Amino acid sequence: MGTKINMVSVSWPFFPFSRGSSISMSSRAAKKCLGNAGIDPSEIGLLINTGIYRYRNTGEPSIASLVQKKIMGYQPAMITRTNMPARDTNTFSFDLNKGACGWIAGIQIIDGFIQTGDIRHGIVVTGDSEPFRGFSENYLFDSAAAAIILSVSETTGGFSDFRTYSYPDLADEFISSTRFGHLDGKWGKRNILKVEQKTTYLEKCIGCAAESLKKYLDETGLTIKEIDLIIPSQSPGGLVSGLRERTGLGNKIVEITNTRNRELHTAGPAFALKQAWDDASFRASKNILFLTAGSGMSVSIVYYKNIS
Amino acid sequence: MNYKCQIESIGVKIPEKKLTTRELTAKIKIPGIDKFGLLTGIQERGICSAGEDSFSLAYDAAMDCLSHSKYLADELDMIINCSITRYKNGLSHLYEPAFSILLKSAIGAEKAITFDISNACAGMLTGVYIAENFFRRGTIKTCMIVSGEYISNMYNHALKNIRTHLSSEISSLTVGDCGAAVILERVDGNEDGLILSGFTTFSRYNDLCTGRQNKNSQGGFMKTKAIKIHKVSINKSMTSVKKALDENGLSFEEIDYLIPHQTSRSSIIAGAVKLSDHLGKKPGHVVINLKDTGNTASTTHFLALYQYLAKNKFHVGDRIMLLCFASGLIIGVVIFRMNEIVYRYGNKN
Repeated sequence: MGTKINMVSVSWPFFPFSRGSSISMSSRAAKKCLGNAGIDPSEIGLLINTGIYRYRNTGEPSIASLVQKKIMGYQPAMITRTNMPARDTNTFSFDLNKGACGWIAGIQIIDGFIQTGDIRHGIVVTGDSEPFRGFSENYLFDSAAAAIILSVSETTGGFSDFRTYSYPDLADEFISSTRFGHLDGKWGKRNILKVEQKTTYLEKCIGCAAESLKKYLDETGLTIKEIDLIIPSQSPGGLVSGLRERTGLGNKIVEITNTRNRELHTAGPAFALKQAWDDASFRASKNILFLTAGSGMSVSIVYYKNIS
Repeated sequence: MNYKCQIESIGVKIPEKKLTTRELTAKIKIPGIDKFGLLTGIQERGICSAGEDSFSLAYDAAMDCLSHSKYLADELDMIINCSITRYKNGLSHLYEPAFSILLKSAIGAEKAITFDISNACAGMLTGVYIAENFFRRGTIKTCMIVSGEYISNMYNHALKNIRTHLSSEISSLTVGDCGAAVILERVDGNEDGLILSGFTTFSRYNDLCTGRQNKNSQGGFMKTKAIKIHKVSINKSMTSVKKALDENGLSFEEIDYLIPHQTSRSSIIAGAVKLSDHLGKKPGHVVINLKDTGNTASTTHFLALYQYLAKNKFHVGDRIMLLCFASGLIIGVVIFRMNEIVYRYGNKN
């Protein structure tokens, strides 16, 4: 029994010029995902949100529960009332925060609950948007969200060998926090989101990701030649090209071609997966690695044996 | 591959500085507000001083937990941080890196897998829920679940906005700061372990308690529809508690200590009475642990356990039920038997 990727969907703000809300974008991505997979929302056992920058810096309830409320009223077109399961739900939802590596951690948790037979379907949503428009310094991420549905598979394959490599000495390479103070051009003091990224961050990210990949291959016994596709984080900008150069894997490492203005943060790997899903390179690949790198500094890698 | 887990150690950190309910309510000009302490059962609570924040509370609790544990920090396989508030360096809310990564470095847990979760006041029990699955699969042998809550900063917003007894911010006056940590360890499948049941998010009620950071001032605020959330929580928990008891062949009277989320004395008593009426039986004790600490958000259950351990109230074999209610609306039940941990906290019987 394994855990397979059932469906992936992405979403942007409804209006291209707006910043969108992480909740509405994530909900839209989740609804698309459920609709395309033909799964009723009440069948989702676990819903995990791994987005970081959230609507108005909401602390509670969890963004996951806000997304859950929005999708619970949704009925996918292919499910008729006669075969629809009972509406009241056993869904449990929560937020997970691990920077860019949260997406893989969310997948790992859902995989665990599927392996133990607690749930049959789980969904990871992830979305970032500027909490208050204009009240941030150096916020460099596109507003975007994604959702991925994981389901039980009766055949072997799916996810295995989750690993995270930490480099705590590099924790100050990327720091984001809200601080109370003045913002240029604005009157009065505000709680401002400040993103501090050192100039060496990209270089360190590439170095840590390449080193972690080497360790991962050594530990799992996989060889670089066996890997058909790598779905990586898309930020910091330049990470994918740097990794391609270091590993010599070229186009096997997916780089998304359709960003709007800036970088994609936690939704980046899901966007890369969606691109590979749509252009059939995902289906054509047998051995796939997901690799995320970000603040902490942390690198998470997981192997996915494709189940067609 | 069917392991269980049990509580191996608990640690807490309550700030030294105290604020009494009398001092707090003296700043509000509403008739009868002086009875707030009597109604809630809260006389005082710890509040952070300069240099203390969510991170320092979590760190101190983690170190206290390790001091009661047989494990060293580098033997921890996993650290889950569950704070709602992630204030570090005063009231600067840290988004990245995650608190758990910083805690891992600070306490020297070199090999631990880390991540933060956030699930309102159900945070630490959500951490237990996740960790139990990792234990069951045999992925980990030890896990620290930790949380630091610096929530007393909400008083500033509440004091400016409370105009009547029915104000949505009146619940903000019940909170207090605290850090708590628990180490779970793997036990053989034949031994008693934690039983988790009914963890569900009833998201249609997620607007009954909301909290976020202020836009124009430091800290945060919380708004609660107190009467409705109490009513819905009790109604929803009846089914969850009954299911948890039935699944494990237990009756309510076999629970020696019921520890619900610590909000206020009157609502805990009212809730316990309704649960007892519904189930036809009463638990041995209903724990109310608010007098000196207030509602400490995600840390309340482990703070109550710690304080009861320190007062030698538990005995080996006592059956405990932790019942969580939290914004979302989240209901969850954890049942376990108290183990030899009591001797490490001074119980000689």
